[in-house]
Amino acid sequence: MRSTPFALALLLSAFAGSPLSAAAPPPLPEEALPAVATLPENYPKSWVLVHDFNFNAILDGRVVVVDTADTAQPLKGIIRTAQFGNLLFAPDKHEFYTAETFYSRLTRGERTDAITLWDSVTLQPKGEIVLPGGKRQQAVTYNGTFQFVNGHKWAVVANFTPAQSVTVVDLEGRKVLSEIDLPGCSHFYPTGARGFTTFCADGSLTSIQLDDKGQVASSRTVADVQDVENQAQFQNAAMAGQTAWFVTFRGQLKGYDLSGPVARPLPGNLSVGTAEGGQPEWRPGGWQVIAAGPKGLLYVLMSPYGKEGSHKDGGTEVWLIDPASGKRVSRIALQAHSASIGVTNETTPHLIVTRADAGIDVYDAVSGAFVHSLGNTTAFNPILVTPVP
Amino acid sequence: MSAFDTFAEKLSRRLARGTSRRSYLAWLGMAATGAAVFPVLPVSRAAAQSHGGGAARPPITSGNPQDPGDRASCDYWRYCAIDGFLCSCCGGTVNTCPPGTEMSPITWIGTCTNPADGRAYVISYNDCCGVSSCGQCLCNRNEGDRPQVRPQSNNDYNWCLSTESSIYNCSVAAIVGVAE
Repeated sequence: MRSTPFALALLLSAFAGSPLSAAAPPPLPEEALPAVATLPENYPKSWVLVHDFNFNAILDGRVVVVDTADTAQPLKGIIRTAQFGNLLFAPDKHEFYTAETFYSRLTRGERTDAITLWDSVTLQPKGEIVLPGGKRQQAVTYNGTFQFVNGHKWAVVANFTPAQSVTVVDLEGRKVLSEIDLPGCSHFYPTGARGFTTFCADGSLTSIQLDDKGQVASSRTVADVQDVENQAQFQNAAMAGQTAWFVTFRGQLKGYDLSGPVARPLPGNLSVGTAEGGQPEWRPGGWQVIAAGPKGLLYVLMSPYGKEGSHKDGGTEVWLIDPASGKRVSRIALQAHSASIGVTNETTPHLIVTRADAGIDVYDAVSGAFVHSLGNTTAFNPILVTPVP
Repeated sequence: MSAFDTFAEKLSRRLARGTSRRSYLAWLGMAATGAAVFPVLPVSRAAAQSHGGGAARPPITSGNPQDPGDRASCDYWRYCAIDGFLCSCCGGTVNTCPPGTEMSPITWIGTCTNPADGRAYVISYNDCCGVSSCGQCLCNRNEGDRPQVRPQSNNDYNWCLSTESSIYNCSVAAIVGVAE
């Protein structure tokens, strides 16, 4: 509403002629409408994708595009990732893919599971692949339940009814290729030319290669790669090239070479090491607790309050381990209790940390120095951090 | 209650009684489509409590000295293996789903000790499904939790599976027996 003094000023200015003196600047230009922002074709490497689980309305999950170098406007865009959804990013194709579940009346009605293809410049949808059976696995967000295979041409989607299987999808052909039963196995990691590795309840892994129709061409099981009861692997892996690194609940580091048709466990007994001050002991803690950084270093989120049941409680330090030497290089004390970590691929890489209070902090990944905080400006429940490749 | 549900309930009670306190998250098997414990966020139990469980609201009590404690608190004795939003804070009660939801027929179970009478009770953590997330009184306990590679020991799955809708709302904690 226009205030009285303002109206009076307008009245006076009408009698006085133009309110503008010769020294006044020209008026602000008119602005073109409608106007919608777009994103760059190639995202800067300071950008990350942050999965917002949005716990208070899970059916309205999303992934936010965040510039970790921009403290003023870090939130660059939002991609819908509904109802325990998952997202993949193919920067070479400038596309995102979301695997989601919908009901025709929001919370009820006919169920549809689908993969949506999104343009990474406009964030507009550009296609859809409907998944049959209404069986897509719904769970708190992991990287391994929706993964690329065959480069960025195909993807695999986890199913859970609770019978376990995987649906193979041709993203380029926009069609479902096959469904493969995988009783007792969960999560997928791209392996070899056109396949994946999955870990199974008996402590084994299985590597499957697919033929050009998406059917099983070969299947090999490697027994006893993990002790699920006593040394379970956190299932979000750190990918260093084609090597998948996992950390276990008690701090062992386990690497798998996924470059061939069958996953090859790397030899050696690596661990994050120990430290004083544990109550009772230091253990990895959080959701995405391991990340791969520069020079082959592994970053692990650690908690001093490690005990049975503490593995999702978050951590207060990040430990850097060089798997080549087997030594811990340094420890980074975090500003706050934190839940997930990622390392950017910038020339000067940064450690991105999601805090338990939903803030996001940025550290120098080499020195460990705190750089800045983005605060609670991008996501309600930031649960996964995926740096731009 | 359908024959299947009756079977499942008997199975669940039997499993509960044969399950130690340590391995309280018993799995009901692939044939029994199930529901129950709900996903957690990777935040500490303390952080979870600051989101609703605990002292931020007046206590909800039973009025029965044999069932002591605050049903809006994660520390209430029945919640020893719960994950998710407490239905007591969501329009339901400790053993009743909120209006408009559907109770998952099969469930994760826990064995929790009642501090008042010293008995170990079998607790059924049914999910309530079909209405958007409650958002009140989030509780998060992970003792015995293992990665999704072992589904029977993992609470990150959404167990609203055999219900009309898989939309998760909250979880109850009902007494279904005394552990033997």
